[in-house]
Amino acid sequence: MNNADPSIKPYVRELQTRCLQEGGFSRPDAVAWAILALRAAGETPDLVLKAQKRLMTNQATDGRISLDAGHPGAFWPTALAVLAWQGSAAFENARARAVAFLLQCTGTHWPRKKGSPIAHDTNIKGWSWTADTHAWVQPTALALIALRSAGYHDHERVLEGKRLLLDRQLPDGGWNYGNTRVFGKILRPMPACTAMALGALAMTVPETIVTVSLQYLKEAIKTIRSPLSLGWGVLALSAWGNRPPAAFSWIVEALQRQQRYGLFDTALLSLLLVAFFEPDCLTQAMGESP
Amino acid sequence: MNIDPAKNMMDKTATESRRRFLKVLLAGSGALLSGGILAGYCRRIAAHAASNTARGAVSETFIAKAASYDGNLTSVIGSALKELGITSRMIKGKNIVLKPNLVETHIGTGHINTHPAVVLAAAGTFRRLGATTVVVAEGPGHTRDSILVLEESGLADLLYREHIPFVDLNYDNWVTVSNTSRISRLNRLTLPVTLARADWIVSMAKMKTHHWVGVTLSMKNLFGVMPGAFYGWPKNALHMAGIEPCILDINAVVRPHLAIVDGILGMEGDGPIMGRPKHAGVLVLGKNLTAVDATCCRIMDIAPEKVTYLAAASLILGPVNEAGIRQRGERVSAVRTRFALVDDIPAHRRLRS
Repeated sequence: MNNADPSIKPYVRELQTRCLQEGGFSRPDAVAWAILALRAAGETPDLVLKAQKRLMTNQATDGRISLDAGHPGAFWPTALAVLAWQGSAAFENARARAVAFLLQCTGTHWPRKKGSPIAHDTNIKGWSWTADTHAWVQPTALALIALRSAGYHDHERVLEGKRLLLDRQLPDGGWNYGNTRVFGKILRPMPACTAMALGALAMTVPETIVTVSLQYLKEAIKTIRSPLSLGWGVLALSAWGNRPPAAFSWIVEALQRQQRYGLFDTALLSLLLVAFFEPDCLTQAMGESP
Repeated sequence: MNIDPAKNMMDKTATESRRRFLKVLLAGSGALLSGGILAGYCRRIAAHAASNTARGAVSETFIAKAASYDGNLTSVIGSALKELGITSRMIKGKNIVLKPNLVETHIGTGHINTHPAVVLAAAGTFRRLGATTVVVAEGPGHTRDSILVLEESGLADLLYREHIPFVDLNYDNWVTVSNTSRISRLNRLTLPVTLARADWIVSMAKMKTHHWVGVTLSMKNLFGVMPGAFYGWPKNALHMAGIEPCILDINAVVRPHLAIVDGILGMEGDGPIMGRPKHAGVLVLGKNLTAVDATCCRIMDIAPEKVTYLAAASLILGPVNEAGIRQRGERVSAVRTRFALVDDIPAHRRLRS
């Protein structure tokens, strides 16, 4: 069982040592990812609790969790907080407020203009990274995962978010940050964006709609050892019942690259640990079995 | 360069005069400047502004021929810096930040990003001149996976081999400063602290056409210093505030010390991502980014004064007209290489002389 793999323990310990004295970790998104990782590893419930409390101190009255109090518009960590508070009765109220924020929050949208060089449907609301900007693939995927984890499977915003992701799927498969065709040119896919979109769509759209994207990701992930793309890639393929047999050894390889690059950012380290200990976490969080 | 908000980032006199100038320009407009309005004000004031800007100041740019990435680029850059008067006395003990253009990577698309060999050569040159630290820093605009970008571009191996640190500016610690020039609607700019700690910031751009603003060179390259954590992926907050006004605002605040543009293999057509490789065989360097970009345009057979943000930059940041630029190294005419433009792209229309 991968939980017993001794090669992974030092990385869990490394994450634990990053816990701040007052509880939690650095940025709110990193706090949320660290909670998910420590919970997945079955370690140190006291650190998890402290981190969850710390995350609550970052919550504004309207439910959002911003990157920094001085930048309320950078609210993209809100969806991650919903996941980090999932299953903890003490934080149910905070989670509900975060969900409420997500439900009322939209990306800037406008009817598609005639002759526009941009091919995607600009009128689908979706979710943006920051206030007063357009909706993009990754924040929309995160919001969908968070809302589905909170039971909002058929809410109009969820259905609309799915529509946005499918609209932004590239004709040749995969997703990038969220442009499909500009000035007539089809843009190229990116592994992390593809993985996040697939993760958000898992078990809610027929596989035939995303077959080419799944193929792209399955092929791309074979050579990828960067934490963001590999971590999300494993989570997404697991959610679609396509986890590569070598996934765990790839994750260990990726973690070992810290000897080369220096320590990974807490969010990235945590993402790899989540993918290692709980590769099925997306479907578990969203309440359905892979 | 210092982005500590308590300190003035520009020469005080110059700053104040520029602020006054901008206030004059903006008085009565009643609107925040979008790209179209920006173009309008450029037309209105171009005549008198040309004489107002950088009065008497001449910027030097250096054009070096470099046929490929296999040559001794360290020697090329070293010679260019010497010609530009950048000496070891100026660099010794300094902290240098090299900011390449790393947008996204795909197999066979090396013409999107600043080539690793150029970055490595610049790092070697600054080390040789006695820099205390040389750091490569970038916040890729289209992807959050900076490690993947480094690996796929081939830069990761070189940085590791040469013990050159990399900072992911998308997630760096930050400092928020007042947007002093206020050409865009943004009141504040949030910048990475790595820039605040730098003594020298070097914009290491790629020579490319750009489908929204005509060209992307050393000035547009600074979008990459804006942290994605606050501006998104793509950096849509800057797009919504107007790409061209934001280019000017960011350059006015960050004020890099040097530009090195990789034009050995650039991009023509539908840049900055989907265009075709275009060999120009040059590196272009200079201390004034506006002047460097104007020279790059001339090499690309594009009229810099017709690039809206460069025309506007000539009012506040540096010279665009040939009289204001002292050309060193190769002559423009000796290396001019026409970069293809796309008729269907509005930003490409009327860019030729």
